[in-house]
Amino acid sequence: MQTQVVLIRVAILVAALGAWEIVGHTANPALYVPPSAAVPALGRLLALDSYPDLAQHLLLTLREILVAYALAIAAGLGCGFVLGVNRLVGRAYGPILAALYAVPAVVWYPSLMLFFGLDAASKIAFGFLLGFFPITLAVLAGIRQVNPQLLVVARAFGASGVTAFRKVTLPAMLFTLVGGLRTGLALTVIGVIVGEILGSKSGMGSLINHAYGLFRTDDYIALVVVTLVLIVGSDAIASLVERRAQRWTE
Amino acid sequence: MSELILVEGVCKRYVTSSGPVDALRDVSLSVGAGEFCTLIGPSGCGKSTLLAVLGGLVSADAGRVAVDGRPVDGPDPRRVATVFQDPGLFPWRTTLENVEFGLELQGVSAVERRRVAADLLGPLGLRDFAAKYPRELSGGMRQRVAIGRALAIDTPIVLMDEPFGALDEQTRVLMGEWLLDIWRRTRKTVVFVTHSLHEALALSTRVAIMTARPGRIKSVLELPMPYPRAMESAEMVALRAKLWGDIRDESLRAMQ
Amino acid sequence: MNQARESVRVRLIQMLSIAAVLLAWEGVARAGWVDPLFVPAPTAVAGALGRIGRAALAGLGETLLKTAIAYAVAVVIGVGGGILLGSVRALRQAVNPFVIALYGMPKILVLPWIILFLGFGAMPAVVYATIHGVFPILVLVTGAVRDVDRNLVTVARAFGARRWQLYWKVVLPAIVPTVLAGMRLGIVFCLLGVLVVEMFAGVRGMGYVLSSLANGFQAAELFAATALVSAASIIIVLSLASVNERLSQWRGESR
Repeated sequence: MQTQVVLIRVAILVAALGAWEIVGHTANPALYVPPSAAVPALGRLLALDSYPDLAQHLLLTLREILVAYALAIAAGLGCGFVLGVNRLVGRAYGPILAALYAVPAVVWYPSLMLFFGLDAASKIAFGFLLGFFPITLAVLAGIRQVNPQLLVVARAFGASGVTAFRKVTLPAMLFTLVGGLRTGLALTVIGVIVGEILGSKSGMGSLINHAYGLFRTDDYIALVVVTLVLIVGSDAIASLVERRAQRWTE
Repeated sequence: MSELILVEGVCKRYVTSSGPVDALRDVSLSVGAGEFCTLIGPSGCGKSTLLAVLGGLVSADAGRVAVDGRPVDGPDPRRVATVFQDPGLFPWRTTLENVEFGLELQGVSAVERRRVAADLLGPLGLRDFAAKYPRELSGGMRQRVAIGRALAIDTPIVLMDEPFGALDEQTRVLMGEWLLDIWRRTRKTVVFVTHSLHEALALSTRVAIMTARPGRIKSVLELPMPYPRAMESAEMVALRAKLWGDIRDESLRAMQ
Repeated sequence: MNQARESVRVRLIQMLSIAAVLLAWEGVARAGWVDPLFVPAPTAVAGALGRIGRAALAGLGETLLKTAIAYAVAVVIGVGGGILLGSVRALRQAVNPFVIALYGMPKILVLPWIILFLGFGAMPAVVYATIHGVFPILVLVTGAVRDVDRNLVTVARAFGARRWQLYWKVVLPAIVPTVLAGMRLGIVFCLLGVLVVEMFAGVRGMGYVLSSLANGFQAAELFAATALVSAASIIIVLSLASVNERLSQWRGESR
């Protein structure tokens, strides 16, 4: 059964790449860049041939992501705990938060662009906005799922409110929290990249825009691949951390 | 008494990750029409498997299984209804709709289905719960709905796989009395799986004791006494001792 | 504190907080502490709403129309595909990694390519939004079909259910809550997709309205339009949520 599954997967991959290659040769090459043309384009990109300052743009994007994420963690944890610990505050502001979450985040972007301009600040702000919600919601969910019986036991053994929080609530919600942090990172990354593509002067998104604008479809694909590596890489690191946390809490 | 259910030399083997397991080996049993036959035995002896074979949900590797003269090769809702330990009520259906389920599958008209189900609610003791959903019912009530669902299709045979297993002791005893009442009124043939000696002795006309895995029928006890049974009578006490004696060895063997 | 009194307090806190924020905002703007070019006062925003009202609503209508079309397609493909994948184990295991990979990939990376293919206009917006909305629905429905309670399937089989009856009477009703949850997610994703395309490619609609207001530094109008589309989105999601509640009474207090 397992081999059958693997065979089907390989078949799908081969069929997809094959179809892409064939179509790429027969139809408009500017649009349908086949894999055989995409690979050398990737080579040219990595050799800093097509875009010599690739490294700077990549670093800028990374910096934006890191700053946005740090802010999202700080605000997300802060808000999450304030809302989660105080029942009344949580009940009051929770629904407002949920309502804001129902709005597609991209509607805030033009306002951010007006306020922060076209450079890094607006991308950081947008990335922060996207990453903030899942982290806050994860803190709330994490606190809510802590078995109240555990706290009763802690109190029975004489633990004060703060101690009980540190020694019981925190470890009990760690796994949910880390999951939220991972989602937050993924969304922050998307936010920064979307921000760059929608309008920026530098960063990976701006390069993608540039290639697209000049119909340099092969370079565009190469840039997309590099960006994907960035995205997958960051999520891979996050998932490693998540697995570590899982081992601690079980 | 004609033999409604005939089982001859049935074997069933399962292939598991730790090797093949013989659930049943050479099981032979017959059940006459109108009987209340209990299958009892230690855990893992294959009683549920045997019931699944009777219900056509699982096919035997060897041997014959015949119901009403016909060989069994799949679920036969015209002859056999099943009640499981997990009531398996559909959470999105009300009590009435759950009871109707079997009739719905058979294409009975909506009006007729509703009538049959509504008529059953009285004996089920669920008249006030017709429009309730399973989450609003207690465990005992849910099992009564499951039994009602089985009764609604009016089959000659009803199979029950530890239907009261998940209930507390007091509820079990009361449910047993209630079930007895229903059985005596409907005169169906019941095959009942349990590991409660009390249930076996209080409810059945015949008790088949199974060995530890691989399961075989070790012995059969006939219980012709009238109902309701006086469980403290000398006769019953002796029977209980005999039953326990037969089962005990198998239970010990199963524990090893 | 009992439930009723707490609810009243909650409402009070919410309204007072919003009022306080608006008042502070108005005060700060009037006092000139912030540049009105970037942060207009709430009263200015309200005024702007009156001015651009008609144009904004027209844009919103265009956006919602495209969203509706994309949503319909996404739901059909997502639910249909989900039922298929959830039922056929070999297919699901084979295709799963691709679905997960595509789900996790930011679709915006292929947006320029889609525009190159389909040009500017409503079509790329609908296509992109459909792609955006399909994945959460597909993933959720696949999981729900796969996780249908085995007991219920056994019961149905024992009562003689044929294959199509199993799907119609057991699987479909069982997955309704998840389908509804997926549909709630899907609408936000579809709307997002349409807006992104409108902003990126200058396609007519709310996204274009917002980005051109931003480019024109019309802060008050921009805030007004943003508030408008936010309100619309919240209303849509809340309506779906209440439909969800009504269809799920058999589950009881699911919140």
